[in-house]
Amino acid sequence: MIVSRVATSTSERLQATFTRPVRLAVGGAGSLLVVAGCLLPWATFFFGFPGKVTLAGFPGGSRLYPLLLVAVAPLLLVAVEGRRRAGLAAAWGVFGITAFNIAAIGFGRDLPLGLLEERGGGGLGAVAIGAWLALAGGALLIAAFASLPSSDEERPFRPGLPAALELLTIALSLGLILFAVVIALEVDETSRFISLIAFATAAGMTLARLNVFAYVTELFDRHRTVTLAAAAIAAVVFPFTQGGNAYWIRVFASIGVFAAAAIGLNVVVGLAGLLDLGYIAFFGVGAYVGALFAGAARTTVHVKLPFLVVVVMGAVIAAIFGVIIGAPTLRLRGDYLAIVTLGFGEIFRILAFNFDWLTRGPNGISGVPDLAIGSYNFGATNEVLGFSLPGFANYYFVELILLAAIILAFTRLNDSRIGRAWIAIREDETAAAAMGINTYRLKMLAFGIGAFMAGAAGTVNAHVTTQVSPDSYGFLESILLLAAVVLGGMGTIGGALLGSAALFIVPEKLRSFQDKRLLLFGIALIVIIRFRPEGIVANRRRKAELHDADPSTGDASGAPPGAPVVGAVAQ
Amino acid sequence: MHNGQRFWRASALLVTASLAFAACGSDANEEGVGATGEGGAATKTVKIGVIAPLSGELSALGQGIRNGVDLAIKQANDSGKVKGWRIELAAEDDTAKADVGAQVATKLSSDSQVAAVVGTLNSSVAEQVAPILNRASVVMVSPANTNVALTGRDKLPNQQRVYNTYFRVATTDDVQGPFAANYASNELKAKTAVIIHDKKTYGQGLSEAFKGQFEKNGGRVLGTETINPGDKDFTAVLTRIKPLNAEMIYYGGEYPEASLLASQAKQQGINVPIMGGDGMYSGAFFETAKEAGVGTLVTSVGAPTESLSSARDFVDAYKKANYSQPYEAYGAYAYDAAKVIIEALSKTLTETSELNTATRQKLVEETGKVNIDGATGKVSFDRFGDTQTKVLTMYKAETKAGKQEWVAAKTDEFK
Amino acid sequence: MQQFLQQLVNGVVLGATYGLIALGYTMVYGIIQLINFAHGEIFMVGAFAGLAMYSYVLPESMQGNPFIVLPLVILAAVIVSVTVALLVERYGYRPLRRAPRLAPLITAIGVSIFLQELVRLFYPGARSQVSFPRIIEGPNLELGGVTIARTSLFLLVVALALMVALQTFIRTSRTGKAMRATSQDADTARLMGINTDRIIVLTFALGAALAAVAGVMQGMRFVSIDFRIGFLGGVKAFTAAVLGGIGNITGAMLGGFVLGIVEAMTTQYLLGSAYKDVAAFVVLIAVLVFRPQGLLGERVAVRA
Repeated sequence: MIVSRVATSTSERLQATFTRPVRLAVGGAGSLLVVAGCLLPWATFFFGFPGKVTLAGFPGGSRLYPLLLVAVAPLLLVAVEGRRRAGLAAAWGVFGITAFNIAAIGFGRDLPLGLLEERGGGGLGAVAIGAWLALAGGALLIAAFASLPSSDEERPFRPGLPAALELLTIALSLGLILFAVVIALEVDETSRFISLIAFATAAGMTLARLNVFAYVTELFDRHRTVTLAAAAIAAVVFPFTQGGNAYWIRVFASIGVFAAAAIGLNVVVGLAGLLDLGYIAFFGVGAYVGALFAGAARTTVHVKLPFLVVVVMGAVIAAIFGVIIGAPTLRLRGDYLAIVTLGFGEIFRILAFNFDWLTRGPNGISGVPDLAIGSYNFGATNEVLGFSLPGFANYYFVELILLAAIILAFTRLNDSRIGRAWIAIREDETAAAAMGINTYRLKMLAFGIGAFMAGAAGTVNAHVTTQVSPDSYGFLESILLLAAVVLGGMGTIGGALLGSAALFIVPEKLRSFQDKRLLLFGIALIVIIRFRPEGIVANRRRKAELHDADPSTGDASGAPPGAPVVGAVAQ
Repeated sequence: MHNGQRFWRASALLVTASLAFAACGSDANEEGVGATGEGGAATKTVKIGVIAPLSGELSALGQGIRNGVDLAIKQANDSGKVKGWRIELAAEDDTAKADVGAQVATKLSSDSQVAAVVGTLNSSVAEQVAPILNRASVVMVSPANTNVALTGRDKLPNQQRVYNTYFRVATTDDVQGPFAANYASNELKAKTAVIIHDKKTYGQGLSEAFKGQFEKNGGRVLGTETINPGDKDFTAVLTRIKPLNAEMIYYGGEYPEASLLASQAKQQGINVPIMGGDGMYSGAFFETAKEAGVGTLVTSVGAPTESLSSARDFVDAYKKANYSQPYEAYGAYAYDAAKVIIEALSKTLTETSELNTATRQKLVEETGKVNIDGATGKVSFDRFGDTQTKVLTMYKAETKAGKQEWVAAKTDEFK
Repeated sequence: MQQFLQQLVNGVVLGATYGLIALGYTMVYGIIQLINFAHGEIFMVGAFAGLAMYSYVLPESMQGNPFIVLPLVILAAVIVSVTVALLVERYGYRPLRRAPRLAPLITAIGVSIFLQELVRLFYPGARSQVSFPRIIEGPNLELGGVTIARTSLFLLVVALALMVALQTFIRTSRTGKAMRATSQDADTARLMGINTDRIIVLTFALGAALAAVAGVMQGMRFVSIDFRIGFLGGVKAFTAAVLGGIGNITGAMLGGFVLGIVEAMTTQYLLGSAYKDVAAFVVLIAVLVFRPQGLLGERVAVRA
């Protein structure tokens, strides 16, 4: 509190003293200092710090990020005044990244919590002139932007491009996303990864405050087909960017399976509003069916069926389980349903653990063979257009097809009468029943469809992981799936995709933190939900409910405690 | 509108300019890098991977494995064991989950500098990891997998090796269980026993192996109970088995549950000995069990540490290296596994050779032929890649000078 | 018969721990309809705080005297647990009161992972099991062939006493009345001049204090604790709270006992201990299907 008051008064004083020419001069000097600083060495001698930071004339490693951020800074000052908040985000980004790297170069793993693996290099003496210049430049930029008047903040971003250029923008945006993903996946060293996260946050905030995101989202909405096609192309192109390396393709295939299941859960939780804490069990049923009937080395059922038959079978069996579980429990309301589904999830895991004759107990079913269609083996490496594709890319593509099918089903359901009925139930079950909706049957349908999707995803997963064991289907996995849906944004496809990607990639990228990764993951969950309670990709209506100040409910602390704004029951 | 257009054009210009700027920089080599590194003479780098749970519940064991390998690598680099090569550690966290294990195995196998991997802790993870590493001709030496099926020795009658690059320095369930059963029949003269296990691959496998041999020896198993790993309250299970009046309890599982079991058994007035495998052989057992643990028997691989100078050397070196975590149950095995790999590397790689398909093949062969004295005893492999050391020791918990500790009761070769 | 009685005692003792933790779930849910999944970790943190008091603060000369050790250990546990719970409430849940109802659940998961990892990484030796003092030494008590450990008996007495005290507090005190009013209708309660924020904080604090006591008891009984006990204990305790009728204090305790006894009896007479959790959940589901409000829950038509 005190800090922010001081900051306000400081910026007031800055606004009073900095006239426009002074501001431009300070900002310009700051930008130049950052550019110069990033091209000069950041470390005085080499001691294994990543990113070639001792070289001059080359912005390697973390030095690239302030440079990219500063690219927009002078422009914000000169071309469009009044973008104070956006400019501040970029300026603080420059300052923060530089300050962090100074600390990392100087002290390395002596920093608190032992977060960094990099060696520290003899204190601040190891920090070269470039870093200090960039730091000073960042400080000047902060001052320059802080001196801007704080009015005129919410200008919409509408470049008013011709239609052709709009399409190009879509393609470029998606291309940029793919490019960013590929680059981000390459970054391995802890210090660079932290710098990258800081950069992404600063750049994201700058763009969001310029309302660029709103514009791009609106473009996506207006040209839906093009966007979908472009997204599909980006997804198909991804394996070709990996230079024959299977690791990230494998991770992305896992994300695909996870996302397919998350979309299924989205039907249950996001659309119909049924809190399911044992959802992973349906995924597990599918996986066991997939492994048992695929001719796995250690199957207990010596029947081998074609892949497509197995997928349908897994999905149907999972759906039957869904209906069996749903029948007695779906008459329960809200949180009671949650604990009952938790119970069923645990029962599934324990039975899979103990029915050795079918599931081989804790050993699980292993040695699921590679898929083969005719004489074509899915495990084989391919050469396509001169690119080497590891065998795993095949599964990645199978995954994409499954995902596309599930996304299609979800959108159709969402737009249908059934989908609207679900939302009605979610918002107010009593009112929905009064309107003549058979709530019990529709809830059952949601449960069954969700289970069906999870089952299908599970059978594919058996091939992706080549092994199925009860440990993979516990309470924690259910919770993670739910976290993917809620974190991404309930009821949206983008949310489920982004949520599962985040929950998979973030821990993978946090690998360089070794022991501390779960700790950081926990913090990340808390922080993200704190600032985006509606999820990263928000359902538009929900976002409006949350962020538009409503005078009748007052501020946050004055709201009825716990009374859920969404799904609040009959008033 | 107008303002927006101006912004758009200006920003496009600036971004392009700055990207061009960034790309212009020369991608030259950094001084100091490459040629000499810091090891001095070493020129080329070969990596030994580790796949173990470095975070989560089993991280204590996983960190021990990582440190064991790290120690072996440091020693080899210091002594210049593999001439012309510098060995690096590439540790990956499998979180004790099979699918995560598969992911990191893929990651390591697509790193062209990784020649071999030490891991995994869990047999279930190994089932995923071994085929991936096998396909990439990366040697895998496990310090801890005890499930017989992994090497293929269980596929009677036509036994066949499953993965050519898979080796292990851990003794399998079918050696340790029967060794314990023989001790029970011959030394304890027990005729009846109750089996409790934690239903995990390790515990169940060990218990079944014990049961088979014990019954062959003429003993009777009066009952088999399972407990859930992570549970704390075993009084219900103990109440149930108490009236059976068995002469001993065999427990298949690890020390956290075993120590609780021992302590609660005494509280319930059950005073027969509890016997178990190397998963219980840990000093931490007594932290919870305290005096209630006295009389407990455990089998462990190799001869007692006191009788082996190499084992003492390992313990001393580990202490000196100042790791933040203890080496735990598998640190010494991991150290041996890494030594096996380094030994094979020293036979395979020369100052002029490269790490390629041919040398990888040679590395697999050389690993199979390794015969060294490790921290856990002699290490060499049979044709399945299983360790040939079948020397086992039965330890008994005794109180010495007010403190409980494991005392070697019998060391023997299992045939 | 003797076996039956022994299993009954085993079950009741096990259930008392569930019940103590379940009280925290049930109170918080009663007030703000939030499933506080991080509550299990509050229990775990309490146990570690008590241990830290014993190992690092108390001089060795005092460690043998239970009359000094026990109050101090419990005090430390309660202080730390309550502090953590209040921090979680203030910075985790309170900003999310207007958020979609699942958002706090994710916060709870995040807090849960964070607290577990914090203890595992920074409490000395907590990567694996750490030993806990028994504090109350002495031989077991025997009654007609039924054995009960002193620590177990102590746990039972403390649990029942705390429950009675809590019940009396909520029934008779002014603050208790305000808690009940907030739970029934927070808006009206506020209009009546009740500071509902303060009531919510108090509820979290009370729940955390009870969980801390349960944590110390658990440590004493099993002479060991580890960073996972919160997760496993939490799931069971939550089940107990729902079984008894969530929002109902007596119900939470009863739910705990029922769950404990079902587990013990399944181990003895049914499929064995591998299936004891299956039995516990089957009982829960059966109760909810025939009595959706739980054993003692009041029939709430539709919450308005």
